[in-house]
Amino acid sequence: MSQKRIDRVPRARTQGLVVHELPDEVLVYDKDRDKAHCLNQTAALVWKYCDGKTTVGSMAQQLERDLNAERVDEKVVWYALDQLGKGNLLDDSVMAPGILAGMNRRELLRVLGVTAVVAVPVVASIIAPTPVQAGGSCLPSGQPCGTSAQCCSGLCSGGTCA
Amino acid sequence: MKEEFAETRSDLVSAVLAGSWRKSSLPLLRISESQLDAVTPLLYGSGAGALGWWRVRETELRTTPSASVLQQVYRLQVLQSEIHAEKIRKVFLILRQASIEPLLVKGWAASSLYPEHGLRPYGDIDLLVRPEDYKIAAELLARPETKDCWVDLHEQFSELADRPIAKLFERSELLPLAEGTVRVLSPEDHLALLAVHLLKHGAWRPLWLCDIAVAVEALPPTFDWDICLGPTDRLAGWIKAVIGLARDLLRADTDHLPASIKAGEQPSWLIAAVRKEWQNPFAANQPPMRHPLPIADQLKSVAGLFGALRERWPNPIIATVSVNGAFNGFPRFPYQLGNCALRAARLLWRSPASG
Repeated sequence: MSQKRIDRVPRARTQGLVVHELPDEVLVYDKDRDKAHCLNQTAALVWKYCDGKTTVGSMAQQLERDLNAERVDEKVVWYALDQLGKGNLLDDSVMAPGILAGMNRRELLRVLGVTAVVAVPVVASIIAPTPVQAGGSCLPSGQPCGTSAQCCSGLCSGGTCA
Repeated sequence: MKEEFAETRSDLVSAVLAGSWRKSSLPLLRISESQLDAVTPLLYGSGAGALGWWRVRETELRTTPSASVLQQVYRLQVLQSEIHAEKIRKVFLILRQASIEPLLVKGWAASSLYPEHGLRPYGDIDLLVRPEDYKIAAELLARPETKDCWVDLHEQFSELADRPIAKLFERSELLPLAEGTVRVLSPEDHLALLAVHLLKHGAWRPLWLCDIAVAVEALPPTFDWDICLGPTDRLAGWIKAVIGLARDLLRADTDHLPASIKAGEQPSWLIAAVRKEWQNPFAANQPPMRHPLPIADQLKSVAGLFGALRERWPNPIIATVSVNGAFNGFPRFPYQLGNCALRAARLLWRSPASG
């Protein structure tokens, strides 16, 4: 069962997404879930390879070519697939081999034993900064407001900061 | 090290946004990390966050926490612009199927002059249709399938009241959008509208002056100033004043403009008024505002009257436009008083006692 899952050929989701490619990252908006993601170059390449035909092993080889890297461990691809699956960017989520299940980025680096052969795949959520993150002098709860951006809570409700 | 221009918050806004609309040849940005921290909420809160990122992305400030905030804004706006473009395509398709040709104004049309649409955010889709098409267009756009498109439908624009709608359509242009096209104002009418719109709202939003700067730097060789400035000296003076502001506050390149357009210094009160607005460029500070006390309560005493006047004292730019005044060096007090009188008259007219 486990072996069967490992051999699967993942397919990227295409429906309900808005995709915009930037020079060093890919932005994706999920219209169904109203969520935005930012894929770094490694994650974006793996996502591009997910055509429903390419195996994980082939993806690792393609990554080596596209990133001009000497060797890319399949674990990097699995980690990318795990991230893409969690972001609902694959048609079906892919179950990673046991050793990689639930692994975070730091743990992956430790397993790989490298830090800079290729960039670790990252699928990050894009969230609108709050006034606090923006460093603004935001309004505390109960203060009159005109827009949500003014409030520390990020919510202006009925002319008052929540 | 103290920077020559970074004295106030508005100076910081000017410094960061100067040339930010350009694909290349951006002026050197000389601000510190703490100054970027100070200006980031002003950029973000006024819709210029993505331009802020565009400006710092190739500087050593790009790795600072404030730059990360601006980059996040940029990423979101890039995606939002894609979504907006889909909606614009949908709206144009629906109207064109009914043989109605709309004109897309402001928003996407303004953003099309920037290196990327995502650099210039917008909310509504402002559409102008011929008066005879308005009723059917309004019905079509009220249908459920266009409910999420946020269309603001117009049969006229007060900013362009000096020119016939038919002429606006006659001079309009088609711009490509995905596989189709959208109709936008001619560069002449577009610049006039942006300039008057900026003044009508007191120039509080720095992004609007960036719109002017990018439009001025992208003028086509065939640009006709007579059309842009319109038939009245008053409007022509307003447009020239705004171009001067873009030059003086954002270092817009005006060298290629005719001498009659770029000549002349801006009145000091005008620059000061814009700088004052840019100290806190947030929509909540703009009229109509909420006041702690109703004006009827404040008018019960002389002190209350002065308090009410102080709270409601108009921005000199808005006051000048409201009484169709000139942007010259004369004091603004008479215009501001005139604006107060106009508003008081409107208030009395609307009050139940007057009916």
